[in-house]
Amino acid sequence: MAIEIRNVEKTFGAFTALGGVSLDVRSGELLALLGPSGSGKTTLLRIIAGLDHADAGEVSFDGQDTRDRAARDRQVGFVFQHYALFRHMTVFDNVAFGLRVKRKAERPAEMDIRRRVGQLLDMVQLSHLATRYPSQLSGGQRQRVALARALAIEPKVLLLDEPFGALDAKVRKDLRKWLRHLHDDMNITSIFVTHDQEEALELADRVVVMNHGQIIQVGTPTEVYDTPADSFVFDFLGGVNRLNGIVDKGVARLDGHPVRVDGEVGPEGPALIYVRPHQVELGVAPADGVPEGKWSARVSMVHAAGPVARVELDLSGRALEAQLSRDRLSDLALQVGSWCTVDFRHARVFPARA
Amino acid sequence: MPADPHSRRPAVGEGPLTRVALIGLAILFLAAFLALPLAAVFSQALAKGVGAFIKGLTDPDALQAVKLTLMVAVIAVPLNLVFGVAASWAIAKFQFRGKSLLLALIDLPFSVSPVISGLVYVLLFGLHGTFGPWLRDHGVQIIFAVPGVVLATVFVTFPFVARELIPLMQEQGVEDEEAAIVLGASGWQTFRLVTLPNIRWGLLYGVLLCNARAMGEFGAVSVVSGHIRGKTNTMPLHVEILYNEYNFVAAFAVASLLALLALVTLAAKAALEWRFADQIAAAKR
Repeated sequence: MAIEIRNVEKTFGAFTALGGVSLDVRSGELLALLGPSGSGKTTLLRIIAGLDHADAGEVSFDGQDTRDRAARDRQVGFVFQHYALFRHMTVFDNVAFGLRVKRKAERPAEMDIRRRVGQLLDMVQLSHLATRYPSQLSGGQRQRVALARALAIEPKVLLLDEPFGALDAKVRKDLRKWLRHLHDDMNITSIFVTHDQEEALELADRVVVMNHGQIIQVGTPTEVYDTPADSFVFDFLGGVNRLNGIVDKGVARLDGHPVRVDGEVGPEGPALIYVRPHQVELGVAPADGVPEGKWSARVSMVHAAGPVARVELDLSGRALEAQLSRDRLSDLALQVGSWCTVDFRHARVFPARA
Repeated sequence: MPADPHSRRPAVGEGPLTRVALIGLAILFLAAFLALPLAAVFSQALAKGVGAFIKGLTDPDALQAVKLTLMVAVIAVPLNLVFGVAASWAIAKFQFRGKSLLLALIDLPFSVSPVISGLVYVLLFGLHGTFGPWLRDHGVQIIFAVPGVVLATVFVTFPFVARELIPLMQEQGVEDEEAAIVLGASGWQTFRLVTLPNIRWGLLYGVLLCNARAMGEFGAVSVVSGHIRGKTNTMPLHVEILYNEYNFVAAFAVASLLALLALVTLAAKAALEWRFADQIAAAKR
């Protein structure tokens, strides 16, 4: 199901949660709403579900305005951040809830309910725990019960609020993959809210980056990562080095040396040069000075655990982080205190805010 | 390395001497202020034998007092159950203007002396009160009659259920209800299938407290009842009358019955907690 969101506004007292947001969600896609806390992403999700009401603007499902459709009639699946499982019901009864509260005319027979819940529990691999209570389950299991419960009413849209927020790292990774497969199998439109850029970039078909109640950028993970709309998106989507430079006659310069820049250089004057750590190129410092157009830095820390090594550098008093392969690190033989040359493969320049 | 026995003591534990002293103090206090008076009530009641005890209880006025007390509880407790659930639902799950005023009003019966609560009804419904003449013309008597006793009891006992439920419901939040609604449940289904099971233990406790107070209330009821023997006397009032007449055995016999009702209430609560320990633990997680 396609969802159109037009100029939705929402305030809570003096706080503007959403300041005129428009978005088209395509049928069948897996969309991530990504942003820091307070960016309005959860509010938007709740408005789509009908749990909150927009002060202005409209949300329509397949072209039909939802204003007069109460949450209970919207047929959306909602997975809450803390799952909101009914603690006095078994796993089975939790999953069956949405089927059992249907109006009499639409309610399936108890036998059909049992079959359907059985299927759902199979799908989330929890059939063996059907008679347990939520308090007897692990976080990952509760998450899957919540999913099965939401899917029981055969929703056209699945909404997930920070679905992996309360889980530990290992479980989170597994569930992520599993959710992606589930989404593909179910032929459903899914929207999930997250503040974890890695999760959004890995899982979603498209990412919506939000900040201060506004949508800043919408695009595929590659688009938003490679061509961020502004400094906020650049910053939010991954580790970044911010270096104070200057734009002079259309050339960005750092300590007098020109910087290779992707895209616009921007207005003349003080500028912030953004470089991702893996775009920092390190080289062996030659004995007789530094080659033209390069900077030199002193190594202040080396983290060499995992496939990628992180090196912290001191570039004329600024902290700079670089990522490189372990092989490259050993080729360079970098140690704390040693010197190396620095270059930037790609950088973006944004005007420094006064 | 052999462990030093002292090092095995938990960090927050106390020495055996402190522990014995603390437990002993608690037991001593309980014995002096709770067990001793309770024992005194029963021993006084049985001071002149079982016959006198039974005679005191089967006196028609005493029986009438028992009946009235039970009737008042039967009316007041369900009323306050409904009111308490409605008020705590409103306060815990919704945002609205005047919420703190409602909270303060719920506490009013706790903060006002029961005697004043009774007097208010006299001023409102008494013969010379605001509505007195109108009520008299229509042949309705509230003060110095059973309706007055019921009204005063309802007033005095209405915070119990709400006070028990509000913090519980606030802590539980609205996520469970939201989940139910998104799954297609109606308001009534949400209340019956989700909210009520979540609060049932708090509710039960509130009802038991409310019941204990409804049966034991003295001050407010004393003002509005008029102490008409065999008509508007509840058990606590009857005990006072008998006591003032130096009829100690009968007074303590009725008092012991009142105490017994309280003990039964407590025992019922303990039994329920024991029977449903698993569910209570699950509900708290």
